[in-house]
Amino acid sequence: MRINDPTPIPPAASRIIGAAALVLLLFVPLVIRDIYWIDMGITILIWASLATAWNISGGFAGGLSLGHAAFFGVGAYTSTLLFLRLGITPWIGIFVGAVLAGLLGALLGVITFRLKGPFFVLATLAFGIVIHIINVNWRGLTRGAAGLLLPFRGGPQNMLFLNLWAYWYVALGLLVLTVGISAAIERSRLGYFLVALREDEDAARSLGVRVVRSKVVAAATSAALAACVGSVYAAFIQYIDPDSTTQFELSVQIALVAIVGGMGTTFGPLLGAAIVIPLGEILRARLGGGAALVVYGILLMVIVLTAPNGAIAGVRMLVRRVRLFIDSRRKADA
Amino acid sequence: MQLVLQIVANGLLIGGLYALLAVGLTLIFGVLRVVNFAHAEFMMLGMYGAYWLWSIYGLDPYISVFLVTPVIFLLGVAVDRLIIQRSIGKPDVTVVFATLGLSIFLQNAVLTLWTADIRSVSTFATGSVFVVGGVRLSVAMTISFAAAMLFALGLWFFLTKTMYGKGIQAVAQNRRAAALMGIDVKRAYLITYSVAVAAAGAMGVLVAPIFTIFPRVGQTQIVTIFVIVVLGGLGSVPGAVIAALLVGIIRSGAGFMFGTAWGELAYFAVFLLVLIVRPQGLFGRRGAEVYGG
Repeated sequence: MRINDPTPIPPAASRIIGAAALVLLLFVPLVIRDIYWIDMGITILIWASLATAWNISGGFAGGLSLGHAAFFGVGAYTSTLLFLRLGITPWIGIFVGAVLAGLLGALLGVITFRLKGPFFVLATLAFGIVIHIINVNWRGLTRGAAGLLLPFRGGPQNMLFLNLWAYWYVALGLLVLTVGISAAIERSRLGYFLVALREDEDAARSLGVRVVRSKVVAAATSAALAACVGSVYAAFIQYIDPDSTTQFELSVQIALVAIVGGMGTTFGPLLGAAIVIPLGEILRARLGGGAALVVYGILLMVIVLTAPNGAIAGVRMLVRRVRLFIDSRRKADA
Repeated sequence: MQLVLQIVANGLLIGGLYALLAVGLTLIFGVLRVVNFAHAEFMMLGMYGAYWLWSIYGLDPYISVFLVTPVIFLLGVAVDRLIIQRSIGKPDVTVVFATLGLSIFLQNAVLTLWTADIRSVSTFATGSVFVVGGVRLSVAMTISFAAAMLFALGLWFFLTKTMYGKGIQAVAQNRRAAALMGIDVKRAYLITYSVAVAAAGAMGVLVAPIFTIFPRVGQTQIVTIFVIVVLGGLGSVPGAVIAALLVGIIRSGAGFMFGTAWGELAYFAVFLLVLIVRPQGLFGRRGAEVYGG
C-alpha cells in the first residue's frame, strides 16, 4: 500500500527547486503578454492550489474525497454573497468562507473517520451531492441555476482588478499559502501521523497516534483551503453558478489533478495542474469538450493502473539519476 | 387509499428495474471488492444499442435485448481483462479511480460519437396503460419490470444452482480459501464482472422505451444505485433487490409529497445516515465494510 516513492527529493533540494520556481513565477508577467496564456496561467495556479488542498486530506491522510467541490463552492458563494448582500469585501469574505468550510470539513471528518476505502469515497460523494442539491434549489439564497454575477464595483479593495496580471499575483499568493501549509503539515508531527494512519491505521493507533483528531484536523484544513481557492476563483471569473462550483464532475477533476501529478507529495498536485489543465484546454479548443474528457478518462485509467505514484515519481527518478551521474563523475575525477 | 396504491405500484415498477442494476453492482463488490463506478454506463450503452437497432433496423427492444446483452457481456470481458483484473489488490486510489476513469471515458466517447441529442424509442406499448383495481399501470413499464424480474431470477439460478455460480459465491465468502479449494478465482472475477455488466446492459435495453436516452443518463442513475446498494448492504444480493423496491417506493412517495428535488435530498440524507450509522447496510454481512477496497 506504499503510495510514496521510496526515494523522495531531499528537503534541501526541494527547497531550492521551490524557491527558484517561485522567483520564475514572479517574473512571468514581464515575459508573457498574450491574454490567452495569462488566463491559462492563472487557471493553472488556481487548480494547483485546489489540488494541493485536496491532497492534504486525500494524499497525506489517504481519505479519497469525491466531494471537495462542496468546499470550493462554499468558499465561492460565501465571499460572493457577503459582497453582494452586505458589501463586505472578498478579502474578508475569503476568511469567513474558509471558517465555514473548515467547520463543514471537520463535521464531515467526525462522521466519516471510521469509514474505509469505497465507503469513505461514497460518503464524501453523497455529501458533495447534498451540497449541490441545496445550492441548486435554495434559490432565495443562491439564485439556483441562474447563478450570481459579480458587478465590477470598487477595484483592488474588493479583489476586483482591471489588469489580468493582478489576478496572477493573487493566485500566486494563494498558491504560496496552500503549498506552505501543505509542506508545513508534511514535515510536522501531524504529517507523520497522517501517513502512519494511511499506511496502517491499527498499527498507528497502537503506537499512540490520535486517530480522530489527526483526521479531523486534516479534513478541516483541506476544506478551508479549498474554500479560499473558491473565493479567489469567484473574484477572477466574476460569475458563479452550481455547475461551475459544486458539481460532481468538479470534485472528480480536483482529485484527478492531484492523482496525475502524484498524491501524498507536496509538489505532485502542482505538477498535476501544470499537466492536466493546459492539456484539457488545448484538447477542448481543438477537439471539443467531449473529446477532452475522453482523454481525461484514459489518462486517469492509465495513471492509476500503471503509475499510481503519479508523474512526480518520474521526476524523482530523473533527479536521482542526475545525482548518481554527478556522483560517479566526481569519483572518476578523484 | 387509491393514491397510496398508485404511488406504491409506480415505485415497485421503477424499483424492479433498478434492482437489475443494483444486483450487478453489489455482486461485483461482493466478489471482486471493486466499486464499479462505470456500472450505469453499461446501462447507457444498452440504451443506445436498443435505440440504434430500433431506428436503423426497426427492431423492437424486447427482441433486441437478446442481441445487445451478449455484446455488452463481451465488452465486460474486455474491460475485466484490461482494467479490472489489473486493479485488484492495488491501493484504494487505483480501485476507485480506474472505474471512475472508465465511466468518464465511456460517457464522453458516446457524447463525441453520437452527440448530446436526446433520443427515445417508441414501441407498441408506448403511452398505453391498463387498469388493475383502479390503479393505472404503464404497459411498457410492466413489460420491462417483468423482463427485469426474469433476468434477476436467471441470475439467481445461475448463482445458486450452477457450479460457476457456486464458485463465485465461494470467492465472495473467502477468496483465499476458495483458491485453495481449486476454484479459479480470476475466472470467477471475469464471469462475475461480465455477467453483472451484461445485466446492466439488459436493463438499459429494457428501459429504452421508458427513459430518454442521452450520454449522461448513466450518471443521473448511478448515485441512486449506490444508495440502493449501500442500503441493502454492499455485497448482499437479496438486500439489493429489497432495497431497490424500497427506494423505488420512497422515491415515488417523496417525489409526490415534497417535489422531486427536495425528495432527492431526503434520500441522500438517508444514504449518508446509513453509511455512518450502519455501514454494512440493512442486510449486509457485519464487518463487510472493514475489508473495503
